[in-house]
Amino acid sequence: MKVWFLAVFVFLGVNSSTHAEDNFPQRIISLGPSLTRELYLLGVEDRLVGNTIYCGQPPDAQKKEKVGTVTKLNLEKIMTLKPDLVLTTPLTNHEQVEKLKNLGIRVTTFSAARSFSQICDQFLELGRIVGKEKEAGKIVQKAKLKVSSIQQRIKGLQEPKVLAQIGAKPLWVATKDSFINDFIKLAGGANIGPSGKSGLYSREKVLEQNPDIIIIVTMGIVGEKERKIWRKYKTLNAVKNDRIHIVDSYKVCSPTAVSFVEVLEEIVGLIHVKVE
Amino acid sequence: MLEVKDLTCGYESEFVLSRINFRIEKRGLWGIIGPNGSGKTTLLKAMTKILKLRKGEVLFEGKNILKLGFREFAKQVAFVSQSSEIGYNMTIEEFVLLGRIPYRMQFQFLESKHDEEIAEEAMILTDTIRFKNRFIGELSGGERQLAVIARALAQEPRLLLLDEPTAHLDITHQIRVLDLIRRLNRKNGLTVIVVLHDLNLASEYCDKLVLLNNGLIHKVGAPQEVLTYQIIEDVYNTTVVVEKNPISSKPYILVVSEEEKAKVLQ
Amino acid sequence: MDKKLVRWSICILILCGILLGVGAFSLSVGSAGIPFKKIIPLILGGRGTTEYSILFDIRLPRIILGLAVGSALSIAGVILQGMFRNPLVEPYTLGISGGAALGVCLNIVLRLNRIGGILSIPASGFLGAIIVILLVYSLSTRRGILKIQGLLLTGVMISFISSSLIMLIMAVSRTEDLHGIIFWIMGSLEEPNLVLIKVVVLISAMGLFISYLFATELNALALGEEEALHLGINTERTKRLLFILASLLTGCAVSVAGVIGFVGLVVPHFMRMFVGGDHRILLITSALSGGAFLILCDTLARTIISPLELPVGVITGIVGGIIFVYFLSKKQVVLGGKQ
Repeated sequence: MKVWFLAVFVFLGVNSSTHAEDNFPQRIISLGPSLTRELYLLGVEDRLVGNTIYCGQPPDAQKKEKVGTVTKLNLEKIMTLKPDLVLTTPLTNHEQVEKLKNLGIRVTTFSAARSFSQICDQFLELGRIVGKEKEAGKIVQKAKLKVSSIQQRIKGLQEPKVLAQIGAKPLWVATKDSFINDFIKLAGGANIGPSGKSGLYSREKVLEQNPDIIIIVTMGIVGEKERKIWRKYKTLNAVKNDRIHIVDSYKVCSPTAVSFVEVLEEIVGLIHVKVE
Repeated sequence: MLEVKDLTCGYESEFVLSRINFRIEKRGLWGIIGPNGSGKTTLLKAMTKILKLRKGEVLFEGKNILKLGFREFAKQVAFVSQSSEIGYNMTIEEFVLLGRIPYRMQFQFLESKHDEEIAEEAMILTDTIRFKNRFIGELSGGERQLAVIARALAQEPRLLLLDEPTAHLDITHQIRVLDLIRRLNRKNGLTVIVVLHDLNLASEYCDKLVLLNNGLIHKVGAPQEVLTYQIIEDVYNTTVVVEKNPISSKPYILVVSEEEKAKVLQ
Repeated sequence: MDKKLVRWSICILILCGILLGVGAFSLSVGSAGIPFKKIIPLILGGRGTTEYSILFDIRLPRIILGLAVGSALSIAGVILQGMFRNPLVEPYTLGISGGAALGVCLNIVLRLNRIGGILSIPASGFLGAIIVILLVYSLSTRRGILKIQGLLLTGVMISFISSSLIMLIMAVSRTEDLHGIIFWIMGSLEEPNLVLIKVVVLISAMGLFISYLFATELNALALGEEEALHLGINTERTKRLLFILASLLTGCAVSVAGVIGFVGLVVPHFMRMFVGGDHRILLITSALSGGAFLILCDTLARTIISPLELPVGVITGIVGGIIFVYFLSKKQVVLGGKQ
C-alpha cells in the first residue's frame, strides 16, 4: 500500500526556474497523477502527449502514451514524443531529470505541497505556465469559497482529536506538516500527529493521546486489517464510539484544488456526524 | 655455502628452535632428521626467509639472507615443500615455467625462449618431460612431486631445500625422488638440504645429518656418527638395533617390536 | 609458447567481436522503436534529429558506461578471487558496496546534493567506499602483515553493518528520499554527467593496465602465499597493492552505477571455464566479457517491459545465474585447480 501511496503522494509547489516564454507549451508530459488531473481541469488535455502508468484519472488519461512510472522514466520514449515541457515531481529520479535538462528539454519541477493554500498556489502557477491563468484563477476562487463556507458551517463545533493513519508496518501517521493535516484542521478537527517530517509513530503514543476519531487512509484489505487491530484497544475513544473510518487513498493522496474540496466534505462528514 | 649461526626462532611467543649452529659446504647433501615437532620444518622456514629470527643469523655465501631481496634469493635458493597447492589447472610445462618467475623482467608478460629451454632441461632431469602437456591435476602424487622439483630446478638454484619430499609416496617414487636428488647433487653440483622422516633413507642418501630434538641440535655428523642405537633411543625413545646395510655399508636401523623385545628379555 | 599466444590472441579477438556486436545491438534496440534499417543512415547523416539524439545521447552513454563498469567489476573479481584463492569472493564481499550505499544514503537524507550538485552523489558514494576500504584494511593488518582471512571476515561484517544502517535510515526517511535511495541501490547505468562517464572509463582502462603488472604475481599466488614467497614474489606489497586496486575499481563502479551484483562474481568463473586460470589471459577476457555482459543486461533491462525499466542488477542476477548454471552442468568446472 505504501508503494502505491508513494506513487501518488505528490503535490504541487513551484520550485524550479521556468524560462520566460512567449508561446505556451503545446506538447506536455506529466510525471505526476495530480499534475495530470490538473491539466485536465485547466482544459489543456489535448496538449498532454504523455504521462505515467499511474495517471489513471480521469479515464481519458489512461489513453495517453505512457513514459514510465512516477519514479523511473523511459527517456527514449520521452524523447520520441518531442515534448516542449516536462512536469516533474520530487519523486522523479534526480539523475533522469538532470539528463532531460542536458538533452535540452524544458523541465519544471513542482515540489510537494503541504497545505491547501500551497496546492492552490501551485495550481495557479501551472495555469500561468500553460497560458490558462484565468481558468486556474476561477477554479481556485471557487474552491476557496467552498472551503470557507464549510468553515462557516462547522464554526463553533467541538474539535475532536483526530489521528490520520497513512501507513502500516511501520505505523505512519499524518504529521502536522502535511496537507492531510489541512484536511483535518479545515474540517474542524485536531490532528494529534507529530510535528516535523517523519510520521513514524508508536501505537503506545496513540493510546496515550486517545483520539476520538481514527481515519485510515489506505486501499482495500490493509485498511480492514488495521481497523481490526485498533479495535483491540478498547480504551480508545475512537473504538468506544466506533469512529474508525477508512478513506480511499487515491482520492486523498493526490488532491487537486478541486478534489481537495470534495475530500474535505467527506472528512467533515466523518468528523462531525451530526452536521448537515 | 650456508651457515646457520646461533639461530633462535619460533611461532608467536614460543621458542621452537634455539641456538642452532651448523655449516654446510658447497656440494654437500645434508639431511635434517628428528622426531615430530623437533623443529625440522621450522628450521627450513627460517633458512628461507619465511620465519623471522629472534636471534642469530643465516648466512648464504657469507651474506645475511635478510639483506637479500626475495627475488634475488629465489634465484639462488629453491624450496620444495611437502605438498604444494596446484593453483589453477595448468599443464606441467606451465607449472614448471612458474619457476622462472624470479627471472621475469618488469614488463615481461610471456616466457622467453631461454625460459622455455631451462624449463625443458628441468623436466628432462626430473623425467617429467613426458608429461609436458598433461594437466597438473591429472598426475599422481609421486609424479607431481617430481614436477615440483622440476619447478624448483627451473629457478636455477645453487641450493635446493626439500621438506619431506618422500612423505605420502610409495617406495618406487621415494627412490626415484631421492635418486634424482642424489644425481643432482653428484652430477650437477647442486647443494642440497633435505628434511626426511625416514631414518634409513636419510642414512642411505645423505652425506651428513643434523639431528634435531626439542628445538635443539642433538648431533651433527656423518650417518655412522649420528645413527647409533644409543642416540636413537635417547631422541626417539624407541629401542632399535643398528646394523650395517650389506650393500652400501651405511647404518641401517632395525625396528624392535614389543613382542620381539619381550622374547629377548626372557 | 607460440601456440599459447595464438590461442590467446584468438580468444581476445573473438571477445572483441562479441563486444562490438553487443554494443551495436544495444545501440539499435530500444523503446523508441527505431527500425533497424534506419540505424546506419541515421548514424551517418542523422545529426540533429531526435532519433540521432536518442542513439547518441541516451543509448551510447549507457553502452560506454556499461562497458566501463562491467569491466571494472570483472577485473576486481578476478583480482580478488586470485588473491583470496576463494571462488566465492566478489568485489562486494569486502563491504565496499555497503560503504558506498551508506554514503549515498546519508547524502540523500541529509540533502547534501544541494551543496555539491549532481556530482555529490557519486562523490559521497566514493567517499563511503574509501572509508570502508581504509577500515577493512586497517582492521586486517597485524604487525604489518595483511591477513587474507581477516579481510574477508571484516568485509562481510562491515557489509552487514552498513546494510542495517541503511535500513535504519530508510525506516525514518521521507518517502521521496526513500525512493531515491532504493533506486540508487538497485543500480542504473543512466548517468547524466558525461565527464563522470569518461572518468569511469579512464579508471577502468588504467585498472586493466595496472592489473597486468600483477598478472604473474597472481599466477604465483595461486600456489599459496608461502610458495609465492619462495618464488621471489614480495607477497605483502603485492597483496596490499592488489587490494587497493580492486577496491578502487569497485568503489568507482559502485559510486557511479549503484550496486550491480553478480558481474564480479560470475564473469571470472565463466571465463575460467573457457580460457583457464592463467591471469595473463583471464584479466583481459574477463574485462571484455564483463563489459559485454553488462551492456547486454542493460539492454534487456530497458526493453523487456518497455516503457518501464527494470533495474539492471535484477537482470544481471537472473540472466547471469541461468547462463552460469547451464554451463556449469555441461562442462567440468575447474575452480582454482580443484576438479
